[in-house]
Amino acid sequence: MDIAKMTIKAIHTGLENKDFKAEEVTRAYLARIKAFDQGIGAFLSLDEAGAIAMSRGIDEKIQGGEAPGLLTGVPLAVKDNLCTRGLKTTCASRMLEDFVPPYDATVVGRLRERGAVILGKANMDEFAMGSSNENSAFYPVKNPWDMTRVSGGSSGGPAAAVAAGFAPYALGSDTGGSIRMPASFCGLVGVKPTYGAVSRYGLIAFGSSLDQVGPFARTVEDAAIALEGIEGFDPKDATSVEGRVRGGYTASMLSGVKGIRIGVPREFFAQGVDPEVKKTVLRAVKRLEALGAEVEEFSLPITESGLSAYYMISSAEASSNLGRYDGVRFGYRTRDYDGFEEMVVKSRTEAFGQEVKRRIMLGTYVLSSGYYDAYYKKAMLFRQKVRRLFKEAFEVYDAVVSPTVPVLPFKLGEKTQDPLAMYLADLFTVNVNIAGIPAISLPAGFSEGGLPVGIQFMGDHFEETKLFRIAYALEQDLGLNLVPELKEVK
Amino acid sequence: MMATYETVIGLEIHVELNTRSKIFCSCATAFGEAPNVNTCPVCLGLPGVMPVLNQEVVNLAVKAGNALGCEINLINKMDRKNYFYPDLPKAYQISQFDLPVCTGGFVDVLAEGKKTRVNLTRIHIEEDAGKLIHLEDEAYTLVDYNRGGVPLIEIVTEPDIRSAAEAVAFLKKLRAILVYSGISDCRMEQGSMRADVNISLREVGFQGLNTKVEIKNMNSMKEVFKAVKKEESRQLQLYTYGEGHKVVQETRRWDQAKGRTLSMRSKEDAHDYRYFPEPDLPPVKIDGEWVESIRATLPELPDEKKQRMMTTYGLKEAEVDILIEEKEIAEFFEATVVESGEARESANWIITEVLRVMKHEARIPLSPRQLADLVLEVRKGTISRTAAKEVFEVLLTREDETAAIIEEMGLKQISSADALEGIIQGVLEENPQAVADYRAGRTQSFGFLMGRCMKASKGKGNPGIVKQVLEDKLGS
Amino acid sequence: MKVTKEEVAYIARLAHLSFTEEEALKMAGEFSDILAHFDNLSQEDLEGIDLYPFEEEGMRLREDQVIPFEHFEELYRNTRSMAGTAVKIPRVVD
Repeated sequence: MDIAKMTIKAIHTGLENKDFKAEEVTRAYLARIKAFDQGIGAFLSLDEAGAIAMSRGIDEKIQGGEAPGLLTGVPLAVKDNLCTRGLKTTCASRMLEDFVPPYDATVVGRLRERGAVILGKANMDEFAMGSSNENSAFYPVKNPWDMTRVSGGSSGGPAAAVAAGFAPYALGSDTGGSIRMPASFCGLVGVKPTYGAVSRYGLIAFGSSLDQVGPFARTVEDAAIALEGIEGFDPKDATSVEGRVRGGYTASMLSGVKGIRIGVPREFFAQGVDPEVKKTVLRAVKRLEALGAEVEEFSLPITESGLSAYYMISSAEASSNLGRYDGVRFGYRTRDYDGFEEMVVKSRTEAFGQEVKRRIMLGTYVLSSGYYDAYYKKAMLFRQKVRRLFKEAFEVYDAVVSPTVPVLPFKLGEKTQDPLAMYLADLFTVNVNIAGIPAISLPAGFSEGGLPVGIQFMGDHFEETKLFRIAYALEQDLGLNLVPELKEVK
Repeated sequence: MMATYETVIGLEIHVELNTRSKIFCSCATAFGEAPNVNTCPVCLGLPGVMPVLNQEVVNLAVKAGNALGCEINLINKMDRKNYFYPDLPKAYQISQFDLPVCTGGFVDVLAEGKKTRVNLTRIHIEEDAGKLIHLEDEAYTLVDYNRGGVPLIEIVTEPDIRSAAEAVAFLKKLRAILVYSGISDCRMEQGSMRADVNISLREVGFQGLNTKVEIKNMNSMKEVFKAVKKEESRQLQLYTYGEGHKVVQETRRWDQAKGRTLSMRSKEDAHDYRYFPEPDLPPVKIDGEWVESIRATLPELPDEKKQRMMTTYGLKEAEVDILIEEKEIAEFFEATVVESGEARESANWIITEVLRVMKHEARIPLSPRQLADLVLEVRKGTISRTAAKEVFEVLLTREDETAAIIEEMGLKQISSADALEGIIQGVLEENPQAVADYRAGRTQSFGFLMGRCMKASKGKGNPGIVKQVLEDKLGS
Repeated sequence: MKVTKEEVAYIARLAHLSFTEEEALKMAGEFSDILAHFDNLSQEDLEGIDLYPFEEEGMRLREDQVIPFEHFEELYRNTRSMAGTAVKIPRVVD
């Protein structure tokens, strides 16, 4: 069993055929994590005992004749902003460094019901704010393809975990690209589902009107299996939608791309995009054309304003969502204080990192009286415009394609001094969240230097089916080797 | 020449809705339990939780809008009101800002003989905060989140109220409407109805509004009256002596012990609430049919009831006002009338005796049947009115039938003329001087003889009959 | 869009964060840059756009029933100071 190369599908088949046991699989992953994660930093905490116990229970059930489901006995990494009852959930922040939730996020509960084995909580940018996973309060995540470079963020931990072969899939969250961007940087498939398709109950909120939980995997099929395992209406989440999720992706994705219309928005391929990224992505698009897709260029002038609108909306929502962190009922509490006010101010100031504070301040500013109309309101109006423009595009095209990130994975520390430069990495991903549409990122190829390049397909609301079709066809055609060589850390 | 000033008052009333569970989670709304027993991750504001709106909250808010003559906004939305305070776990309150569930509306009020229509600006839905428990001499404060998430409606009036009496009359009328409709139990002492008063003064004739002061922390109608009166005079003093500029926009606390309004710590920053639409809740969509079906569930409201009772029972407006103020009393009255057929008498007994007792009682301690029987026994002459008062006191503590109590207490009045004949004759014979005086023209002697007769009958003589017989005898 | 040190102080108060002189100044500069960049939004034609189209499929409502939280004992496990069942905080003056 070459555990680093295993997929959900392969593990499921092996368990079904009794080629190996769930406990073996879990232990193999745990051993690999212990051998290599020191150099990567994908995990913030491991739940060895829990994982082994869970896998043992699964083995007993299989022994007893129960047929394992697709996700039964399959280990995964869970981003540390998804609540796991009894397991520390920190959001990679000092503020929640010893917070143990009394409940599971709905998606976690669903996976547990299906027999999933949670190996541990994955690293991330603090409170999901960041594009490089350098904002973790504990340690940054390195890119398994080149450990001097970033994994991307904010779901750097889950991405690195899958890329490094620490788990066949992982759950992350995407507010402005936080799944797709690290998927691109780490050579993985990453899906941001339609807003409302997956429950947000138990996902520690950052930008409530933008956040969605989604899977990372090495194959499109695995990503589809994982999404099917978590999506669907949740009565605890009033924004989750009933009766629109299609499911059945693993079957429908096999239909090929003949006749599929793909729009190529020229603004997403303009200046500022790294030439290697552009070349690799366009080459992949050409492959789709060869496979029967109809490809056409068009105009979608939303990138720059979209980024602005995104940062205003997400910061505004974040500034409100993070108000509850005051040390009163849970979380970090400063040691010395004189009175309630001081306790709250000091706790927040000491426990939040730079980027988090910056965004809380920005969000508070754009919502404050006098500035609301100039910033937040404009952003919300533009949001409606983006929705309309996408709707119009999807009347003509089945999907819109772009590079996932305008740049190649950059070096650690390269963009940390300039917040704006960091924000620009989200240029192609944010509008998807603003419009609430689904998108998938998968590897399109590698740069000369061997760095992964991701291609993004965006679809209309609840059209994940089309996206999986396109992604699967491309993946099969490209046939990329997606397992990096890791150096063991002694 | 001294200017005359008039008082301009607007009220903001928070009312806790009669739901079983909280507005955004399934915790109980019960009052008075141990701190934090009715909490869950949602109302505690733990990381990752989300609100889901309670259906009954929308129902009751619409019902309130119907009862108060408001326009229902068929599409309305929830917003976040952001501020830090220890009783607010999420550091924001989910409320409604620019698209509330109801707009407009009115309440007709009668105060000091004057009728006024107080217009409403709006009604909106919001969640309540927790409670702080302040302790004397301790370096800490306690927080109880049981109340956090209890559903509220906030009712805002236009500045149409002109006096403390009007303010209290308004609150009483509003309370009656909401209690009758089953929307809330509106107990100010328990906090299920809270009123904040906005008060300013202006020269009579001036159309604009001067600086207003907000008063908070009044726990009863009486306190509202006192606080308004106090603040009114405080502002009047300032304006009268040319110091009107000293009336600043601020929030003042009514301090019952000191009998004054006191300036609260300035919270200027707190006014920047940074409202924005609540992203975790889709818009509230109501259809016209639903609104009408809720309207159909409205019971007879105070104004209607008053009209009907005045007409049906022939009672005076002032009397009916007293009877309908509390739903329980109104129901008791009507039940008593059903049993006795005596509206006037029932009303009298309730207004003088029952309401007196209700000052110390939570529930009415006798049944409509018992009171009805008492009324009838007095009407029939079985007992005197004085005796009836004694019986009444006993009925408060006993569930027995009135007739049985009267029997037990031996208070039956002697109403038969024959029975009294002898007693009265005896009195006349014992008091020949008085008899002579009366016949000579001194009418006071009649009173004296009546007194003697009543005494001789040990108070059991039916005064009406005694008088009759006495008159007859003296006349002869 | 120049953001002043005083505005940063005001926002910090609202957000319940504190910054040193230096930090506040730096933040003011960063804000000014970021907001200047985001000024591109002002170039957008936003005429005739409905702020609240209310396209979302209506409300998800809950039935009015009491369901106590199942793991109640774990609710306050993360709370640092309690007095009985109440949460304890430093003295607050109303």
